[in-house]
Amino acid sequence: MAAVRSQREVWTNRAAILAVLVALVVMLAPIYWITSTAFKPRNLATTVPPTVVFEPTIAPFVKLFVKRSQLREPVSEEVYDAAPWWEQMVLDGGEKVVRRGRTGEVRSSGYGKRFTNSLIVSIISTILAVSMGTLTAYGFSRFRVKGEDDLLFFILSTRMLPPVVVAIPMFLMYRTVGLNDTHLGLIILYTAFNLSFSVWIMKGFIDEIPREYEEAALVDGYTRIQAFFKIVLPEAMTGIAATAVFCFITAWNEYAFALIMTNRKAQTAPPFIPSQVGSGLPDWTVIAAGTFLFLLPVAIFTFLLRNHLLRGMSFGAIRK
Amino acid sequence: MSTKLKGLLGGVVMSAMAVTAASAEDLVIFWAEWDPANFLQELVNEYEEETGVSVTVETTPWSDFQTKAFTEFNARGSAYDMIVGDSQWLGAASEGGHYVEMTDFFAKHNVGDVMAPATVKYYAEYPGNSGKFWSIPAEGDAVGWSYRTDWFEDPAEMKAFKAKYGYDLAPPATWAQLLDIAEFFHRPDEDRYGVAIYTDNSYDAMVMGVENAIFSYGAELGNFETYEVEGILNSPEAVQALEDYKKLYSYTPPGWAKTFFVENNQAITEGLAAMSMNYFAFFPALLNEATNPHAANTGFFANPAGPTGAQHAALGGQGISVVSYSDNQEESFAFLEWFIREDVQKRWAELGGYTAHAATLESEEFRQATPYNEAFYQTMFKVKDFWAVPEFAELLTAANQRLYPFIVGDEGTAQETLDALAADWAATFKKYGRTE
Amino acid sequence: MTHSEPRAGQSAARGLNDKSIRNLFIFPTIAFLIIFNIFPLLFSLYTSFTDFRASTNAPANWVGLENYSYLLTNEFIWRNFTITAKYVLISVTGQVVVGFGLAMLLNRYMPFKGLITTLLLLPMMLSMAVVGLFWKLLYDPNFGIINHSLGLGKFEWLANPDMALWAVAITDIWMWSPFVMLLSLAGLSAVPKHLYEAAEIDRAGTFYTFFRITLPLVAPILMIAIIFRTMEAFKTFDLAYILSSQPTTELIAIRLYKMAFLEWQTGLSSAFAYIVLVMVVGITMIYVKYLNKVKER
Repeated sequence: MAAVRSQREVWTNRAAILAVLVALVVMLAPIYWITSTAFKPRNLATTVPPTVVFEPTIAPFVKLFVKRSQLREPVSEEVYDAAPWWEQMVLDGGEKVVRRGRTGEVRSSGYGKRFTNSLIVSIISTILAVSMGTLTAYGFSRFRVKGEDDLLFFILSTRMLPPVVVAIPMFLMYRTVGLNDTHLGLIILYTAFNLSFSVWIMKGFIDEIPREYEEAALVDGYTRIQAFFKIVLPEAMTGIAATAVFCFITAWNEYAFALIMTNRKAQTAPPFIPSQVGSGLPDWTVIAAGTFLFLLPVAIFTFLLRNHLLRGMSFGAIRK
Repeated sequence: MSTKLKGLLGGVVMSAMAVTAASAEDLVIFWAEWDPANFLQELVNEYEEETGVSVTVETTPWSDFQTKAFTEFNARGSAYDMIVGDSQWLGAASEGGHYVEMTDFFAKHNVGDVMAPATVKYYAEYPGNSGKFWSIPAEGDAVGWSYRTDWFEDPAEMKAFKAKYGYDLAPPATWAQLLDIAEFFHRPDEDRYGVAIYTDNSYDAMVMGVENAIFSYGAELGNFETYEVEGILNSPEAVQALEDYKKLYSYTPPGWAKTFFVENNQAITEGLAAMSMNYFAFFPALLNEATNPHAANTGFFANPAGPTGAQHAALGGQGISVVSYSDNQEESFAFLEWFIREDVQKRWAELGGYTAHAATLESEEFRQATPYNEAFYQTMFKVKDFWAVPEFAELLTAANQRLYPFIVGDEGTAQETLDALAADWAATFKKYGRTE
Repeated sequence: MTHSEPRAGQSAARGLNDKSIRNLFIFPTIAFLIIFNIFPLLFSLYTSFTDFRASTNAPANWVGLENYSYLLTNEFIWRNFTITAKYVLISVTGQVVVGFGLAMLLNRYMPFKGLITTLLLLPMMLSMAVVGLFWKLLYDPNFGIINHSLGLGKFEWLANPDMALWAVAITDIWMWSPFVMLLSLAGLSAVPKHLYEAAEIDRAGTFYTFFRITLPLVAPILMIAIIFRTMEAFKTFDLAYILSSQPTTELIAIRLYKMAFLEWQTGLSSAFAYIVLVMVVGITMIYVKYLNKVKER
């Protein structure tokens, strides 16, 4: 068949690739702009036309990790010269490093800690949501469940209520059981958020896997559990990868509940990045640096899973 | 399960079980994320050195400050011992039982005289003229103006201005002059615009902006004691003020439809506007060459007077209150005793805090410390504020719903707008049983 | 949706029987979701019939259906609903067209396909609040990049009441099309090649192949994507709240946020949320019904 690929098909393919490249440029332009801003000196952040050629600086990243405050006037030359290179970067931006008392200990902006919190909460809640979701989806897909449609709809409906409204009762509930400002509290919350999504998507994928394969395995002497792990799971990898990516993204970027439910100990990074606008003039380079660093884990995670995401459902050929 | 994961889970469970076992010696003050909070942290470090009691200033983004604070209050959370809350919260926080009453503290330490009278009235007392106090004025703030001195002092501009308007170009002393100057510098062809004002209607920004006009035109939002609004809010003076605010909007840069302190400071740093309205607290960024390329050419003036000569400005700023659910109330009051000391307030001003301490404010030293301190000092004795009743946010919503379509959307007339708003507010006050 | 009931006797002989596996797989999730959601749901249902304000310690008074009747007769609230409907329609349609279109384009051999797909997914990996902040800057007529690169001069995206909702929707489409794209791509790769080959032999037209072969086979997973995007679009908050404060962009979620967290009308906002919930449930039910029909084909 492949030998008789028509001229038309070749051209269609070329046109498609071209269109994808155009889409890539459009979709990535804002991301490129954010990324390049993360490496710009402050005064080049909002120039029009945007500065494309510039000497990259890591000053935005230095500023991201230390607490700073606005200077009314530049510091004296002696002070500037005596400061270490990273502090000079902050001073160049019209700000000074906030230190603790007279001990001179540099105060952290808290970004590092929040970033770690984000990692802990997102990774664990993603693992929980995906595994629970896959099991439940399999249960619904393969067995007769009384009131299946209603149960599935119930699961879906847990994601329908506007979050603003459950925030207050949820907060009261958490405080009563001592879950507020804990990692565990956020993990439970995000697992619950993502479960409905995880169950529905996974059911969509598992439904596509022909049950004949498991049945053959059962006849061969596998137990149901073995068949699930050895036959179904590998086939459902595309779905699992896609679900994991989405769950991770949702948990990673969640803002409203992270803000309300946590204080100093367990607060994640999303509420932190916009707070950089606070001091009267936003330092876009720092916001961009925070955004860029925060994008990395998700991007890497997705890139690692790319082959699973694209493999598709190889057994889909044998459809009912 | 890998051992790593087990360890991680174990850690999570541990941290979940660990009760907030902060020592009683550790006080937490809650505020919004901005420079004054950094300055306050520096100040309280000195308290730690003096007394050994450590104080932490915890912050959250401005946009979520109110939400976070009241959610915490509602759950009677003891996470914060003190809070530097907005003046409008007084009603809700005092009636809701979230703030510890400070009337005795005020009497004992004579706070009413130590702090500037207007700040005591708006940051501390609720209900108005009741003699009950709930907070110590901490960060004074009000709306002022920044302007481009190089544009104003350009001989060619001065000549052209004089020829057109018949008087000298200088920072406006009246709203009429403000309008003239805005019109004069509004030149879209040259990418130069007249003025930057507040137009964001998601919370209180635009209303604060309009208040500057309404108060200076000699009008009021209503009677703060009887809650009457009809005939006051929609008085001819207020209608005139609103019309002029809308006129100012026509002299703003393009896209000026959701603007607050960030955009208004950018109007100066990006060289867009001749004059820009903003809270004094956001002016420090305009003084530094590193953050404002026009720093050397940026000047400041107080909100101008209206047609009757009345001169007022919308209040910002916050007072510091003790949270009712704190386990460290005694220690908090001990801290506040230290905070109101004259030397501490002087230090507070030095660090960059906007003190409300009367003697410090009046000192020559303070008034000359920065190019805008003089304007700040003048303003702080002329400030007026929005309603501080617990339902203030509903009043804000109504104001936003009525004012914004008129100012930005060009719908209806000023009279119709204020008539409708007066009716909305009257209905709200009736709903809460404040009027018959 | 056919279920072959496994023969219980056969599998019971080896390890867990199917029934216990089913219960073990399904029950924890259902139980967890019920426990987690029951209190917030009942709490807001109760407060929706009261004048409760979470900002004070005052006890709640029962007001019956007053909150509901106030909301359903309030002109501003109706406007919020109309705006939201329009927004959901524009934004979800846009995401499906762009997302599905990209998936169709990508569904072929292509060098660096894995990398390209990952890059195309980047927009949805950002947080809504950050996207809002940056797009506000991008749209800015004075120093925004969009007008500059499109040569639009001082075109006002967000300051123009008629344009603002479109601007918010465009941002949302930019951000979430990748979601639809990824799910569609998975669905598309499941379409068996032999069906296309058969169509080619029959000399079926491109349209015929698309509507008769591709679409029906991708439809189930695409429908799930649409369901989730619709639900999320209904709840859109951060993005619209940060980008614009025009009355023409005041979505339900924004009004709801103001009511609940700025005005602290907890009772009223709970009633509002229940009205929204009923609407979303209704719309989703139609979708799900359609989804089931699509699957049966």
